[in-house]
Amino acid sequence: MIQRHHVSALVVSAVAVAMAAAASVSFLGHSAMETIVPGPGVKDVRMLSDWFPALAGGAGDTEVYVLSGDEPGGSMLVLGGTHPNEPASFLSALLLIENAKPDRGTLYVIPRTNASGFTHNDPQEGAPTSFSFTLADGSARSFRYGSRATNPIHQWPDPDVYIHASSGQALSGNETRNINRAYPGRTDGTLTERVAYGIAQLIRAESIDLTVDLHEASPEYPVVNAVVAHERAMPLASNAVLGLEMQDLSITLEPSPRNLRGLTHRELGDSTDTLAVLLETCNPSQGRLRGRTDEALVLSGKDASYMKAFELGRLYVPFDGDGISIETRVGRHLATIGELAFALGMEKPGRDVEIGGIPPYEDLIARGVGAFLSPVPAADRE
Amino acid sequence: MTYVYLAICAAVLLLTVWNLWTEKDWRKQCAAAMVAIPLLLRVLLIK
Repeated sequence: MIQRHHVSALVVSAVAVAMAAAASVSFLGHSAMETIVPGPGVKDVRMLSDWFPALAGGAGDTEVYVLSGDEPGGSMLVLGGTHPNEPASFLSALLLIENAKPDRGTLYVIPRTNASGFTHNDPQEGAPTSFSFTLADGSARSFRYGSRATNPIHQWPDPDVYIHASSGQALSGNETRNINRAYPGRTDGTLTERVAYGIAQLIRAESIDLTVDLHEASPEYPVVNAVVAHERAMPLASNAVLGLEMQDLSITLEPSPRNLRGLTHRELGDSTDTLAVLLETCNPSQGRLRGRTDEALVLSGKDASYMKAFELGRLYVPFDGDGISIETRVGRHLATIGELAFALGMEKPGRDVEIGGIPPYEDLIARGVGAFLSPVPAADRE
Repeated sequence: MTYVYLAICAAVLLLTVWNLWTEKDWRKQCAAAMVAIPLLLRVLLIK
């Protein structure tokens, strides 16, 4: 016999199912990857599973864009999207794919290094789900704001303590889904470790001379506007920093700590022959001191809380009412990549990579990121 | 390990739904429904 509380249970259940359905549409929408328009330098688009077949068809497999010149030379790998909540990292890789044209050597670009991390975002951070740019033709392109870590749907549960496999170093349990604590990876590890292994395999198989991992950090973090270099990469990074100073771009050079394990600049330098560096720009939308976190903060980098923090001497970088825009952050990454490629030619004669078409820093500031994005062909629009 | 955790999650979801349908206080039914939503999304591998 149907009782009164069964009626209320039915109503409550129906509302709950409707709410779950609405949430599902939003969450599942996060899994659809935006179109990337290959530029004039792209000669091939491969998958990371080409170097580590066990990744094929899974959440960790990701596109590898191969840009090569007519002249033989060295090889360079750019890792964008290691942390999908650091938008200048993904965007810098994207602008390389859509604009760069190597004259000599080969440039490999992975825009979504942790592809799984792009399929969700971090709860309780209040971050926007996406950010948009207006292109020169008036159209718009939107990109998702992801999470620092692999989606728990793809790798769950987290241990209380994460033990880095090759060193035994203990870290916080949630770092088990951070790919920049997983290198050099392992074949039978977690999804994150397997993706890290795939990238190390790519570096070994293609004899990558220089690997550049792109990041952003908060203004109160000491390592910001910096190049972090493995000891074998220090001479090359020093030359690049000098080149940036000549462009009036102030940047610090940090040695890769020997006791901080699992990161690209340590493990890829130790376990492969590549020269490994990591770049950090300054992004106030990631900081703990930030105010309202929305698309405007991600793009403009303007934040009154950080202005106050700077007045109190709490920051490692100047911060004023102009903020630190996405153009500034992407421009710094691209200028540094250009200088690193140039320095590679001095470090390894005959293994140089000459890259034309990289959007210049001043042009990015003046015209905006949207001016260097290609319109998405009508057939590829959602 | 992931499958073990998913099985635990599914079991808790079933108990929560059972509680929702046997509970007589509609406010506690609402509480059970709110608990069930994230469990359901995890079991279905949506979030």
